[in-house]
Amino acid sequence: MKKILIVDDEKDIVETLSFMLKAKGFECICAYDGEEGLNLAKNANPDLVILDVMMPKINGYKICRLLKFDNKYKNIPIIMITARSQDEDKLIGEETGADEYITKPFEFSDVLEKISKYLKQGETV
Amino acid sequence: MTKIFLLISEEANSQIENILKNNELMEAQGELEDILTQIHHFSPDIILVENSIKNCEFTVRQIKSIAKNQNTQIIFLIHEDIETDFLNLADGLINLPLREDILLSTINSHSKIKKSLDRLYENNKELSKSLYQLNVLYNTSSQFAGTLNTSKLYEIMIEAMEKTLSFDISSVLIFNQFSKPVLYLNTIHAPSENLIDALKIRSVLNYKTMFENSALPHNKDFDEIEIVQKTKQSRSNKIYTIDSLSYDSLFAPIKVGDDFFGVVELFRQTPYSAEDVTCFQAITHQVALPLRSAKLYEEISSTNKKLEKLEKIKSEFVSIVSHELRTPLTPINNSLEIVLSGQAGEITPEAQNFISMAKRNIQRLSGIIEDLLDLSRIQTGKLDLKYKLTDITPSLELLQKTFLQVAQEKNITINLEIKQKLPEIYADLRRIEQIFSNLVSNSLKFTPQDGTINVKAEVILSSEIDKTKLISPYIDLKGQYIKISVQDNGIGIKKEDIPKIFDKFSQIETSLNRNKGGVGLGLTITKQLIDSHLGAIWVDSEEKKGSCFNVVLPLSDDFKIFEMDLSHALIAFGDVGIIKLNYNKRIELIELLKEQKLLNLTRLSKEILFDKNERKEYWVYIPKISLSSFDAIYRTIEDFCIKISSTESDIILSKAHSEKDGIEIGKIINILNN
Repeated sequence: MKKILIVDDEKDIVETLSFMLKAKGFECICAYDGEEGLNLAKNANPDLVILDVMMPKINGYKICRLLKFDNKYKNIPIIMITARSQDEDKLIGEETGADEYITKPFEFSDVLEKISKYLKQGETV
Repeated sequence: MTKIFLLISEEANSQIENILKNNELMEAQGELEDILTQIHHFSPDIILVENSIKNCEFTVRQIKSIAKNQNTQIIFLIHEDIETDFLNLADGLINLPLREDILLSTINSHSKIKKSLDRLYENNKELSKSLYQLNVLYNTSSQFAGTLNTSKLYEIMIEAMEKTLSFDISSVLIFNQFSKPVLYLNTIHAPSENLIDALKIRSVLNYKTMFENSALPHNKDFDEIEIVQKTKQSRSNKIYTIDSLSYDSLFAPIKVGDDFFGVVELFRQTPYSAEDVTCFQAITHQVALPLRSAKLYEEISSTNKKLEKLEKIKSEFVSIVSHELRTPLTPINNSLEIVLSGQAGEITPEAQNFISMAKRNIQRLSGIIEDLLDLSRIQTGKLDLKYKLTDITPSLELLQKTFLQVAQEKNITINLEIKQKLPEIYADLRRIEQIFSNLVSNSLKFTPQDGTINVKAEVILSSEIDKTKLISPYIDLKGQYIKISVQDNGIGIKKEDIPKIFDKFSQIETSLNRNKGGVGLGLTITKQLIDSHLGAIWVDSEEKKGSCFNVVLPLSDDFKIFEMDLSHALIAFGDVGIIKLNYNKRIELIELLKEQKLLNLTRLSKEILFDKNERKEYWVYIPKISLSSFDAIYRTIEDFCIKISSTESDIILSKAHSEKDGIEIGKIINILNN
């Protein structure tokens, strides 16, 4: 079973997203702030990470950069969830290396389509 | 009456005193030193010297040295039997024995010479003073032109008056728009407390007197006057008392037109001449003009600051609101999706219908948020456009599919007619799709049941476009264009309303009788996006018969591509200069410029710069900078160029650069080229 890490400080988003992903046969682990998210990304061996941008402690872009510039983790696909606000625009000045972006509010089918680019077997389990 | 000093023997004395009795005479007394003191105090017009007196030559030389500037005439009385080889010291000669008529006529003519010389001397003095005043005025006017700092202008003014009008006391009362009035007191010696108070009252009185019959231009609290006092010789014991107010004085207002800045009054113990008055007026008039400029400048910059702040607050507000709205919308949407999917338990068809409705409205809400955010980005110049060579045919074909459901609800047919194979254009595909879907959704809104919408695309020449119909502002159209038109048979638009529909939040009918949704941001954004693509839009419409929205987008050649990158850079960075470099050089250069914080790359420029495969030439965007920091860039590029010995480079300046900048940048280019 493919393991997906969801990092978002909005508990409702995490809950609905993980509910649907579980229904589609993924294993989900969740983190509710940047620090916890980075920790789990490094230690829980996720196959894919879904990352919110604006979060307490460490923002999503920074986590993304930290993972993508580390040879050990750079192959983990990362999907960023963005609200496309100007605060986020400011953060994005540097390359983040994220694989995909989805904009809030998102359609579940879009998320699934993006995941399937990286985790082909996910749905078959 | 002539003042005559007599340095003669006693024999001659009695005779001469008698002849010259109608003049003011003084006889020499005592030794040489006493004589010199006597002459100094008496300041005679003529000195009569008999060559028989003791030490005659030495005495005359001494006299001449103290009377140097006084044009005093020295006349020798000569005994022919005495050798005199210093006659050249004299202005006139009379032989002894004395003849009365010769003495009188000689005295008379030398007295006239003395008077003429005095006049000449006075005129000369006046002339050199005027010349000096003119010189100071000239310098002052160039100093005035060099600053917009108000207090600096007053300093220059007071300094100029000090140089040209050598006042004892100057009292300058100045009004400021935003602060307390200031009284500048500049004096040679220290003023007494009473005098300071008196000058304060006097300046206020002077000011109020000027406006006796009209309203005061500055109605300030005069108890609040701030006094800035400077004394030139602060160590001297002399103090100006209240008596100084009886000195000769000059007074003038500082004003130009209706702008009133203050009043100046100068006091001097010795009287002022007519020329001084002219000079004084010239200075007060000269200072008023730059003061007005300074005032206007202050007003403009404070308004600008306010506007900038407001603009920032507004765009931040929009950004925050849209972020805050999106975040809760996400779990709502997700939850509805879960329920709809049946994963959370079975739902009735009716419930499904209502939940779908909720979902549709969430999509609509999120579209509005997206529009608001786009508009805020457009206004702050932060719209991130990713231009690429693009085939727009698929996005046109997609339109029918996208709007199929909405069209079916109203039984509207959407026809698509692409007359020929469309060439690729340089565009941001996502934004092009936004333009098309905004136009079609707009038409759908205003087309009645069973209507038709025709979407057409073709290649045309700019000469086929009726430029009078274009919605302004538009750029000069040249060459070939793809024309896309969206025609409906809806309610149509009145001719005079056409420009209005591209205004923010406009929908022609007022809220009471309108029955269509949408805040009307779509067309405003559409117009802005078309502008960014160097295209144009116009509307053909007839009321009750329908409208046709026409968009033209340019076919891209190298120049258009460059122009679009440039205009985008101008939007994104404000004032920029652009250096075109090839790939290898630019990365090094950019790193160097970034290290020195001379270059801020945003995501966009970075993408253009680092996009290795797509284009051969790249642009470095350098924000417009002051010439001092330009030196730093210059050096950086210089160092860099020695390292890489570049061969290919080119530069394009924005309008924001001055000619001087151009020369500087030209130098860099020369270095880059060699």
